[in-house]
Amino acid sequence: MKSNKELQIAYVLAIILLVVGVLSYSAFSAKTPDQPVRLMFKCVAGKVLFDHKTHTAESGYSISCSDCHHNLEEGETKPQACGECHEAKSQDEDMPNRSDAFHSQCIDCHKEGGAGPEKCASCHVM
Amino acid sequence: MVDNNRFIVSHAPFRHDGSRISTRNYNIALAALPAILLGIIYYGMPAVGVISLSISSAIIWEFIFCRATKSSITIGDGNAAIIGMILGMLLPATAPWWFVIIGTFVAVIIGKQIYGGIGANPFNPVVVAIAVLMISWKDIFDFNEALINYDFDFAMVYPLSALKHFGVSAVDSFSMGDLLMGKQSGGIGSTFGLGLIAGGIYLIIRGIIRWEIAFSFLAGIFITALLFNMTDSARYAGPVIHLFAGYTLIGAFFLATEDSSSPVNFIPMLIYGAGTGFLTVLIRNIGVYVDGVIFAILIMNLVNPLLDKIRPKAIGRVA
Repeated sequence: MKSNKELQIAYVLAIILLVVGVLSYSAFSAKTPDQPVRLMFKCVAGKVLFDHKTHTAESGYSISCSDCHHNLEEGETKPQACGECHEAKSQDEDMPNRSDAFHSQCIDCHKEGGAGPEKCASCHVM
Repeated sequence: MVDNNRFIVSHAPFRHDGSRISTRNYNIALAALPAILLGIIYYGMPAVGVISLSISSAIIWEFIFCRATKSSITIGDGNAAIIGMILGMLLPATAPWWFVIIGTFVAVIIGKQIYGGIGANPFNPVVVAIAVLMISWKDIFDFNEALINYDFDFAMVYPLSALKHFGVSAVDSFSMGDLLMGKQSGGIGSTFGLGLIAGGIYLIIRGIIRWEIAFSFLAGIFITALLFNMTDSARYAGPVIHLFAGYTLIGAFFLATEDSSSPVNFIPMLIYGAGTGFLTVLIRNIGVYVDGVIFAILIMNLVNPLLDKIRPKAIGRVA
């Protein structure tokens, strides 16, 4: 194979793949599913990977939405994300901070179930 | 006076056997194809986007550099395309477009071209780029966070991350078969163990990569992981997870074996490979980084010129 031909192949490859790449990024950008599969909670004590699907799925723990999303009205199907009300540093005295809300939610439920992690580093990536 | 003991070597021209750099690189692309295809099957169009943009932008960076320095256009040798392809294989499918383009810039320009182009780079260009990206944007390289919306029939927890943060019991569920079949979270083209091994064996048979490096790397990982495991099996995982998770296999067959940053003699190749494997497990087990392959290869690239000083004894003597 002569170097001219090689150069042509490289030009064609660069152009075609550039078009494919730009199209894939613009037209097929990864969509966020309606119901989260997993969530990554970020905090100063190390990130926590929360498997939302395992908690909700029937094959998993089969917890109903309203068990955690406590402000869900009757018949409402789209719960709010936790962080919408529970801010990292809450100004409102009646509204728990995000970390307090998550801690009580996760730890209380896991304690009730008599299972699950007990140490910080079992959830937090330290 | 004729000295009969003197061996006279003639000057050029020699006969060229027709082999070309481009042919080698096309073969590397072919060998990497199975692993890339499985990545695309799992992650869909976003993976196509990352790989395509990575290859094309790598070629374009090299083209721009050649034009800017008024040197001959070298993109025809396929090396830029291979750099882009392997870089794309290591990235998560959700890597943003600017991340890919910065990656190929670092790989092609900083990793290769400023040293004088192909064959002159002291470090593997792809590994340099991944190291820079990994340190600069560690959240994008956190496979647990990056692939959060993907739902498969296997655990989508990055095995090495689970091992590092939650201990040996967290990786008990990963079987060797699943890891080999790509049923693990990771880079687009770095999870399909069987595909990478098949590609590697093909490249070894074609004489494109050296078996000495690939095998001593894997042996280094196996032995070091086994020794750690034997000292404390509750803290350190066995060799299987180290061999088949993370960047191990793509590292053994596609990264550590890069021509200009690895040794050429037999003993140095063995030391280079084994040292890379040893450092990989050391970083994974007692270092701060989740995967050690990238930094282990960089360190051994640094040692490479020294290793190549160990030479076979010359035949005959200089008169």
